Amino acid sequence: MKDITRQQRRAVLLGLGLLLATAVLLLLGASVGSTGLESLTRMRLDPLALQIVWDIRLPRTVGAWLAGALLGLAGAVAQGLFRNPLADPYLLGSASGASLGVALALLLLGALPATSLIAPWLLHLGLTGAAFLGAVAAVLLTLALARGVQHTLRLLLAGVVVGVVLGALGSLTMLLAPEVMQTLQAFILGSTGLVDWTACALMAGVLLPCLIVAWAFSHVLDGLSLGEATAASLGLPVSSMRAALVVVLALATGTAVAQTGLIGFVGLAAPHLVRSVAKTTHGRLIFLSSLMGGVLLTAADTLARWLLAPQELPVGVLTAVLGGGYLLWLMHRQGSGGRLP
Amino acid sequence: MKPIALHASAIRARLGNVEVLHGIDLALPAGRWTSIVGPNGAGKSTLLKVLAHLLPHEGSVTLLGQPLATLGQRARARQLAWLGQSEVAGDDLAVFDVAMLGRLPHQPWLGTPSAADLAAVEQALRATQAWDWRGRTLGQLSGGERQRVLLARALAVQAQVLLMDEPLANLDPPHQADWLLLVRELVAAGKTVVSVLHEISLALQADELVLMAQGRVRYQGACADAATHRALEQVFDQRIAIHALAGQYVALPRP
Amino acid sequence: MAERRLQWLLLACLALLALPARALQITDDRGVQVTLAAAPQRIVSLLPSLTETVCELGQCQRLVGVDRYSNYPASVRALPQLGGGIDPNVEAIVALRPDVVLLATSSRAAARLQSLGIPVVAFEPRSHADVQRVLEQVGRLLEVPDARRVWREIDAAVTAAAQSLPAGLQGTRVYFEVNSGPYAASEASFIGETLTRLGMKNIVPARLGPFPKLNPEFVVRADPDLIMVGDSHAADMVRRPGWAGMRAFRTQRVCAFSQQQSDMLVRAGPRMAEGARLMAQCLAAKAGGS
Repeated sequence: MKDITRQQRRAVLLGLGLLLATAVLLLLGASVGSTGLESLTRMRLDPLALQIVWDIRLPRTVGAWLAGALLGLAGAVAQGLFRNPLADPYLLGSASGASLGVALALLLLGALPATSLIAPWLLHLGLTGAAFLGAVAAVLLTLALARGVQHTLRLLLAGVVVGVVLGALGSLTMLLAPEVMQTLQAFILGSTGLVDWTACALMAGVLLPCLIVAWAFSHVLDGLSLGEATAASLGLPVSSMRAALVVVLALATGTAVAQTGLIGFVGLAAPHLVRSVAKTTHGRLIFLSSLMGGVLLTAADTLARWLLAPQELPVGVLTAVLGGGYLLWLMHRQGSGGRLP
Repeated sequence: MKPIALHASAIRARLGNVEVLHGIDLALPAGRWTSIVGPNGAGKSTLLKVLAHLLPHEGSVTLLGQPLATLGQRARARQLAWLGQSEVAGDDLAVFDVAMLGRLPHQPWLGTPSAADLAAVEQALRATQAWDWRGRTLGQLSGGERQRVLLARALAVQAQVLLMDEPLANLDPPHQADWLLLVRELVAAGKTVVSVLHEISLALQADELVLMAQGRVRYQGACADAATHRALEQVFDQRIAIHALAGQYVALPRP
Repeated sequence: MAERRLQWLLLACLALLALPARALQITDDRGVQVTLAAAPQRIVSLLPSLTETVCELGQCQRLVGVDRYSNYPASVRALPQLGGGIDPNVEAIVALRPDVVLLATSSRAAARLQSLGIPVVAFEPRSHADVQRVLEQVGRLLEVPDARRVWREIDAAVTAAAQSLPAGLQGTRVYFEVNSGPYAASEASFIGETLTRLGMKNIVPARLGPFPKLNPEFVVRADPDLIMVGDSHAADMVRRPGWAGMRAFRTQRVCAFSQQQSDMLVRAGPRMAEGARLMAQCLAAKAGGS
């Protein structure tokens, strides 16, 4: 059992390492920003510094971690569900669907919801709901176009088509109602700048049930990795799992996208990064991928705020550099004749 | 009267828009090894899938007396193991984990592997000589090694009936011989084995032979019978000849 | 005795009435009523036109931070830049301890800033009437006594620019291109209003919306007398199929504005008079010949 125990041990170590990294990054995230470390040190004496750290930096950092965890989870689910290592949470057009949902919601609410009449949490629910509905609708549309997940190529193609078409519809909405354009662009830009504690609570409230559902179906995902027919022959409820995991995928992606905009690469890279360290079944992969996604996005967000402080770099650029850079290095190390981790 | 493991009646099945099986009636004896052979495109794999309840079809299939359609998913999975032909398997799972997947029909929904599960997996992996590298991932294996792991997965189910489609793909002669011994052991223990094989000589080692051509069953009989051999030659348009050699039968191409 | 009590009561009532009068109440463009205890001394502006409005009212010194697109007057460029209007740096804004933040109604940051306890006033001037209104509102907010006068001066300057044009130029048909697309400024836009006040006729009617994306054929068919465009596009325009033959190109009646000038023309702010003068100068120079 030596080999098995080694992989299991690596998985556990990776999990602990990621938790430690989370703690470190939370501390770092609270220390960087436009005013630097002084806010942290002056926290006890200066109420403004306390507000900056507690009300602005911490929710941003925690929010980045939660959004990254949601995207990492969605990435692992997408790659397991479609048995494709290149799948990411946005594969089935959920990104374009979420943007279109937000665009239409903004259009209906008159470009800017009245913030004094509706409590902030209702406002967040409104945008989250619209983005979530858009993401789910896009995924369902893709499934309908591909007539199920039987044929991976057809599914990928359908996803591309849906993504492009919904993206075009979103552009059309922006054209017809230019007042929507600026707010929508801010949404698409992808940033944690507007994340507060309410948003964090919302994301955590979505992350937990998604993790539980994904974990409950993780052995079905394992069976699915042997092929559709084999999974059915093992008596696995493939179709009900598919339905449940599509919901998880759409919900997790939609929630993350609604709070932090479209941040790419985290969902794609997180499962690969986990597998490069420990090969494990989906039961552990779900949790580890979630942790990895959280760490990745928090690291990128902290760097984005620190490198050119007080200016901020776009987070998406840094997630690509961090995640992509590591994967490139791995590929280089594998050399010729090696497979992707 | 031999007990029947699988009874198929009036089976019609389509792949896409084309009808592939045109009214199959078949009774597969229990506790025996049956080989299904036939030319390419005869519908052998399709028939096996129908018997495993993996394809929609007209007609009915009964397993050990019970109609397959009325059996619950898990009950069916516990009694019937199916090994597909060149199913795409993920590269990232460890050999041990793959074999453990065969125990899924026996495990509770969120359960951890029990002692019985571990024992079954070990037995299956040892039977296919894959135990020594159970920590390696599928992606690191050769074609033959991978096939043996998938076979172990099917064995781990410990089902009464085993349906195997081209189980010898990529296996070298020693491992083909190992597989033959394995099947003999299973049959001796009372299990039923149904295999689709294109290696006619190996198929002739079975107890019974089912000949298929163009979506119909042409013949069913014991492998040792001369009548079966003649029917076999005819199904292949007299392009092969069956010869007796060293107490076994071999099929050789007719020049 | 009762008389005394009545006096005290009256005094108390007056005192009560006087107290709220010290507090400022403004209804901004979102329809939100914002109440401030006193006139704000530390102002952050996240919209260039609002920055210019504050400075035009002579309160430039009260600005502590602006967005990255605010570039006029030159003194504001020395102020800390707090990101864009739609993606402001919330932490940096909070660190400046502003008394009020001025931003566009379409900014998502309003909710966030308000939840952090910072008063937010949103204005988004898009027309001449808006400029007047915003000037007066901001003037009230900053307790500037003569905001009306500022507007009157601007208004008079626009009229003067219009009158400086020779009578023969009235009704000249103009096409104003904002962006290659081509996106045009119609009668309904801010620039369109200025053009109308200068007595020009816009070939793009108001019913198409303020900044419609046109089919280039439309412009060729309309054949304007004069074309106004940012100078980065001017060279490409003539290469568009069918455009070289247009009247405006044949007679060299093209007004190409630099980036800075385009900024000023497009912004619905207090520099509209200068914008009107700029357009009038160009019109007189180019179209004066016919």
